[in-house]
Amino acid sequence: MNLSGLTIGITTLLIIGLGFPLVIRGERYFGYLWWPYMMGIGLAIIIVSLFVSTDWLSVVVGVLGATFVWGSTELKDQAVRAELGWFPFNANKFRPPFEKTIEKWKVPHL
Amino acid sequence: MNWIGLVAAITAFLSIWIGHVAVRKIESTSRTIWIPAVIAIAFGLSLEYWSLISDNLSLKTALGITGFTLLWDAFEFTRQEKRIIKGYAPANPNNPRHAKILAEHPSATTLHLLNRHPIGRPVSYNEAIRLVTEHCLVDTES
Repeated sequence: MNLSGLTIGITTLLIIGLGFPLVIRGERYFGYLWWPYMMGIGLAIIIVSLFVSTDWLSVVVGVLGATFVWGSTELKDQAVRAELGWFPFNANKFRPPFEKTIEKWKVPHL
Repeated sequence: MNWIGLVAAITAFLSIWIGHVAVRKIESTSRTIWIPAVIAIAFGLSLEYWSLISDNLSLKTALGITGFTLLWDAFEFTRQEKRIIKGYAPANPNNPRHAKILAEHPSATTLHLLNRHPIGRPVSYNEAIRLVTEHCLVDTES
């Protein structure tokens, strides 16, 4: 595949587009306190990209990781949006491990 | 080790972050949204052109991603204005365009309703206002 910057830009836009349903569904079914796990998954995916020798695939993997990291910083706002009724609210969330510890941490918000 | 994925990840993250903050700030203060949108499109297209003529893979990746983020940001100016109309983002009463929106749309507000911690249950509109006004958190975050 010929890696033009244009192709990379369009691909990035499409991958980041996946971040919208990821944050909306993720918050609805799991809750915003999963943010450290989502951020960790993102960083792990970015590390994986370092070991992908095919350039275009490394870019796709790297951007996918960045989407997870960005998404983790959007979960808190999304939780408030659901409480406000801007999105469906689900009270029966699947709680994260170490929930009480995570609650004490400052939620990243950019 | 292939660093191109990391270059793409960092560029994507930073350009989204900067764009996210900049669109909100500019939409809030600008009297028109078409002028900032046209500037974003011009910059976005220039970066895409620069990306196409570049020989360096890292540079063309960074330019390609930043250029498309700018093109998306141009579109975000209209999306942000719609959020202001719905009250999903705070209106700036000192901006004549926002003042007009505040006068014409009862849903628009100067309050930043997202500027609080989740409490774990649905809230009414009055409670939502109380939650952001009682804790003196209003307008401290973008």
